[in-house]
Amino acid sequence: MDKPSCCSPAPDAAPVVLETKRLSVRAGERLLLREVNLRISARQVFGIIGPSGAGKSTLLKCLNRLTDLAPNLKVTGDVLYQGNSIYTGNVDVDHVRARIGMLFQQPVVFPQSIVQNVLFGARHLRPLSRREKHELAERALGEAALWHEVKDRLNEPALRLSVGQQQRLCLARALAVDPEIILMDEPTSALDPKSTDAIEELIHRLKELRTIVLVTHNIAQARRVTDWLACVCVRDGGGIVAETACCDTMLTSPQCREVAEYLEHAAP
Amino acid sequence: MPASVARIPVTRWVSYVFAGLIVAFVLGLLTLFAWQSLPVWRHAGLEYLTGRQWFYRHELFGAWSMIWGTVVVAVMALLLAAPLGIGAAVFTVEILPARWRLWVKVPFEMLAGVPSVVYGLLGILYLRNWVYSALTPFDPLSGDTLLTAGVLLAVMILPTVMTLSDDALRSVPAGQRHAARGLGLTRSETVLGVTLPQAAPGLAAALLLAVGRALGEMIAVFLVVGRQDNQPVSWRSLIEAGQTLASKLGGAETNIAYGDPLHWGAMVGLGLVLLAMSAAVTVTGSWLAHRRQT
Amino acid sequence: MRRTADKLFTCLAVGAALLAALPLVLIVSAIVWRGLPAVDWRFLTGQVMQVGAAGGVFYNLIGTLILVLTALLVSAPLAVGAALTLGVYLKPGGRAQRWFGLLVYTLNGVPSILFGLFGLIVFVKFFGWGKSWLAGGILLGLMILPTVTVALWERIQSLPRRYIEAAAGLGLTPTQIVWSVILPQSVNGLVTGSLLGLARAAGETAPIMFTATIFAGATWPTGIKESPVLSLPYHIFILAQDSFDPAAGAKIWGAALVLLALVFLLSLLALPARLKIHEEAHHG
Repeated sequence: MDKPSCCSPAPDAAPVVLETKRLSVRAGERLLLREVNLRISARQVFGIIGPSGAGKSTLLKCLNRLTDLAPNLKVTGDVLYQGNSIYTGNVDVDHVRARIGMLFQQPVVFPQSIVQNVLFGARHLRPLSRREKHELAERALGEAALWHEVKDRLNEPALRLSVGQQQRLCLARALAVDPEIILMDEPTSALDPKSTDAIEELIHRLKELRTIVLVTHNIAQARRVTDWLACVCVRDGGGIVAETACCDTMLTSPQCREVAEYLEHAAP
Repeated sequence: MPASVARIPVTRWVSYVFAGLIVAFVLGLLTLFAWQSLPVWRHAGLEYLTGRQWFYRHELFGAWSMIWGTVVVAVMALLLAAPLGIGAAVFTVEILPARWRLWVKVPFEMLAGVPSVVYGLLGILYLRNWVYSALTPFDPLSGDTLLTAGVLLAVMILPTVMTLSDDALRSVPAGQRHAARGLGLTRSETVLGVTLPQAAPGLAAALLLAVGRALGEMIAVFLVVGRQDNQPVSWRSLIEAGQTLASKLGGAETNIAYGDPLHWGAMVGLGLVLLAMSAAVTVTGSWLAHRRQT
Repeated sequence: MRRTADKLFTCLAVGAALLAALPLVLIVSAIVWRGLPAVDWRFLTGQVMQVGAAGGVFYNLIGTLILVLTALLVSAPLAVGAALTLGVYLKPGGRAQRWFGLLVYTLNGVPSILFGLFGLIVFVKFFGWGKSWLAGGILLGLMILPTVTVALWERIQSLPRRYIEAAAGLGLTPTQIVWSVILPQSVNGLVTGSLLGLARAAGETAPIMFTATIFAGATWPTGIKESPVLSLPYHIFILAQDSFDPAAGAKIWGAALVLLALVFLLSLLALPARLKIHEEAHHG
């Protein structure tokens, strides 16, 4: 896949769309993440890599406050979306989540038809006429490169799709809500190579309009897909962002010792 | 399991014998009731079920009024207990913070164990009077009515509905909820669109099991239903005294009837009908509840 | 708009919970408030006198305990046998297992009055026992059998396969595996199921009213035939029907409180075992 050098245009040129300030997460006594400071610019693929258990998924879930759903997690610090904190008291969390969508590692498909799945989130945003529903479904499925495979069976149960198709369905569902940012938590680790390629291709296209934050444990994938990387390593019992750099830079000459060790041991 | 060679597996065979005893008991119960009630089936046939008159001295045995009473009382209990119980379960599963869960769940489960006679006692001393006052515009004879029994049963089956619904809601995978919230759905939209629909079989099981208990409840109903035979089968009967299959069986007539095969057959026949209704509902509920576990 | 709907929904759910809790709170409060004044040491150790208007409930308590203990002795072995049959000996998912399981659930759905009716026919009339504590105990034991069986069976099902495989790998026979691994590890389920079953048995009136208990005139049982006992629930049942004698009034509530305390005690005893099972199920 042909990728322009990630360091041009300079990442600072695009506006910062998502930012964390001294973000820390505790689970009871344990510190999961310590003082994470990230700046994510618009319309790029921001990758988060690191050893397993370091806190990558937790970090991702902080970005759309899905951590609220886990009763034992306590989040301090702040996350700013377009300059505004999403953690203040009067924020409409559900609205935030519609703007910052999420794709999980295991595709979570509702026990309904394909078209019902695609429109599941969008239905609640505003009333849609039948025509609008059809157009929206077609557009979202098209953007997720699934339309041609399912256009003749929109009313069939979504669970009949293959795992790779289900993941693209979940992507279409997230896209139907028209988020500005999409968080992806190891979206291809449960998929076969062909589906993985399909999703990576999609990510490449999606970033023209949206921002992607991608957690991955696959360095080769990071090399293929991401523009900018943050490496989360464990130091003193808690996860920290050891290094943030342009993708090429980090993977060829990491500054941080832990990062270097991780890259050496991880599969290429 | 590796095959055993020379020894006779005593444990295995004793277990089979015990299991066989249980089977024998259930089949025996069914057979006994069927056999002992034969006289009334021969005497009255289907009229036994559809007849509305019960005058044993005139050898008139019609159970319809009691079947009506049984069903009506159970349905009333269900209509009151279902929304409250499921609503309360939604509260404990979706809204209550996790650390308080046990503090709420345990007391409710213990309350499910309050004996029927205690409910009956409270029904007599409190509920009966409240119903009597509430019904004054209808000029009631007393506070002992089918309605009273229905309300009392509702309170009795409420903890059952609640704990079983709690289990059903909890069995919906968290991933489904998180996916819905991740799309920006509010908590209530998630409960209504994802959790409740997916918990539906379990909720149905909970309601069926609760109804099964309501159908067969004797003591509490006996004390507040009025125990009036031959009431007309109508909507008006709800606010009048009535009789259920169970309350009839719990009365003095059961002992009186023993000497007379026809009368006794009629009484046992009531038991048979009650057994059929209650077991059908409970078995369906149990099957639904345990099917989704596999 | 959606936020308002969400708030409304939350209010409804909270409202339902409060409404559901209300009658139950009232019940316990009423019994405690009315019953406590009547319960003292004499009440617990004295006999019923003046048809319940005076005296205590000693023999009623004894009778209930006798019935409950007998029920335990009847149901525990049967439940172990049934649970082993279901969980160990019959092929999982096979027809025999499914039908037997269905039968156990059917038994669970039999109304308690029908146990009484069955007992009346078989024990009182056919066997000629008249009213007998043993009949009551057997009937109660059969009644709680599904509760105990299912609790134990579910526990057996949730045992990790690796324990059994390790034992088999060491050369233990199936019987030895049952007694050394399966049963010891499932004891929690048996205890829990038994206590919950006994809590229910203690409060039941219907199975025993024709077959085992009388209102007054019995103390300790003498033999099997014509040997009824007093019991707490039946005592309350009879007195409730003649309700309003003010003198008997307080005593009924006292009896109700004692019965409730017994039932709650048995349920509470099951709690540590149940919490442990709950813990293991969610974190094990």
